[in-house]
Amino acid sequence: MTRTATPKLGAYTALAGVGLLAALVVGRPELAALAAPFALVLVVGLSFASDPRIQRAAFELDRERALEDETVEAALILRTEEPIGRLELLLDLPDGLNVDGANAQIVRLDWRQRRELDFTLRCARWGGYVVGDFVLRSPEVFGLLVREWRLELGQPLRVYPRGEALQRLLRPLETQAFAGNQVPRARGEGVEFADLRPFVPGDRVRRINWRATARRGEPWVTETHPERNSDVVIFLDTFLEARQRDEGTLDLAVNAAASLATHYLREKDRVGLVAFGGVINWLHVSSGVIQLYRILDSLLDTEIFLTYAWKDIDLVPVRALPPEALVIALSPLLDERAVRTLLDLRARGFDLTVVEISPVPFAPPGRDELDKLARRLWLLRREALRSRYLRLGVPVVEWDGDVSLQSALEEVRRFKRHARVVRA
Amino acid sequence: MVGIASLGAEQAFRLAAGPSRVDPWTPAYAAGFLLAAELAWWSIEPRVPAWSDTEVLIRRVLAIAGCCVGGALLAVVVVLAAGAPLHGGVGLELVGAAAAVAAIAVVAAVARLPAKA
Repeated sequence: MTRTATPKLGAYTALAGVGLLAALVVGRPELAALAAPFALVLVVGLSFASDPRIQRAAFELDRERALEDETVEAALILRTEEPIGRLELLLDLPDGLNVDGANAQIVRLDWRQRRELDFTLRCARWGGYVVGDFVLRSPEVFGLLVREWRLELGQPLRVYPRGEALQRLLRPLETQAFAGNQVPRARGEGVEFADLRPFVPGDRVRRINWRATARRGEPWVTETHPERNSDVVIFLDTFLEARQRDEGTLDLAVNAAASLATHYLREKDRVGLVAFGGVINWLHVSSGVIQLYRILDSLLDTEIFLTYAWKDIDLVPVRALPPEALVIALSPLLDERAVRTLLDLRARGFDLTVVEISPVPFAPPGRDELDKLARRLWLLRREALRSRYLRLGVPVVEWDGDVSLQSALEEVRRFKRHARVVRA
Repeated sequence: MVGIASLGAEQAFRLAAGPSRVDPWTPAYAAGFLLAAELAWWSIEPRVPAWSDTEVLIRRVLAIAGCCVGGALLAVVVVLAAGAPLHGGVGLELVGAAAAVAAIAVVAAVARLPAKA
């Protein structure tokens, strides 16, 4: 706790001192009478000034997890033994969290009072936060001295990105052996109709198609497609980002990753995550709600960590990129290491899709001709890079967040419909 | 502070130029000066936009009113004491000098406290 004098203390002391001295020098008692009230304020104020003591303080959140743009109710509970005439509280919030209404409150606490102060926190940006640091300030009754101290009552709050609803997902070229919601080209035990064929010894009787059998005069059986799942790896490029004010390419990428992970896991697919950048994080493919929370928690820890060290795909464990997995790369394609790594993935035969989180809206054109020319060259280089991916059979779609992610995915689906797999 | 000091200087000039008898309205002037100083400080003190208990506001108004009334009463005491038929002497001179030294000491002690803007 720090105790500081306000300018009022110095001013009143000077006024009282000058008045009293002037009364002595000039010999007029009226000047002493004019100075006396200021002296009285000083004496009374400093005599009754004592350090405010808070016996117990607690900070509670109504929940520990929230989505972007949601509100979380918070309460600060204070209990005092002695009264505090004026207590100013400021909730010190990290960037990404705001308070609906006034962030600061001025209250009075009586003898042995328990006071609960409510705050409504608005989660403006995804991330992992620690909330509950307060700056407290208590001036004494006449405002001559001010005491300041901090209360650190940190509570964890995880704000998850608000994903976008997706109607249709990208399908991988190959499915896995586990049961899921996808219908592969292969035939086997399932419910989706595939074809009819003549009965051969070994076929189960229950698979006989009686209508076709009656029509043809010999037993025919129904063939079906099995229901399979697929492995999807979300590849998040965290080398660089383009950012302007409150939004950047990393925010868009994280939101897209959350949407994709949520929907693929809902379809019983196995989903993994590779955050490839200055720091490399990965999650092996798995399915279920627990995996969804693992991925979301991992996304919250994602940040740009600037490094000049060269990194390639060999740094990622083999199990993090299972064979025949669909790799969806979310990248602004700003860093050469990420660009090369994606090309490397394609060369290794992965079913790769690149969702280019466009940095163009975050880099407005300059004012002079040279800046405009440089920007045009930069845009042409990006166009050339996209063409390079397309020539290798990698669908690239530019997404800037203004349109829905679904429309970007539809563009990839259209590309894949006409594309042919080339195996080197 | 400059405004209040100017008002005090104007009052001192008026007293110096006026009659030698004690002005009976001095306690009212003293309370008025203090009220002006308190309201001026209230208007310029550092603050943040905050929700405030009504009770805090009421208590502050009462505190200002109380100190103005108390200051006026103290000024009345000073004025009455000035009119008392006491003769000067070495004792009273010493008390006055000690009071002056004490006032300067208080100013010096306060100046050593870190100021808060």
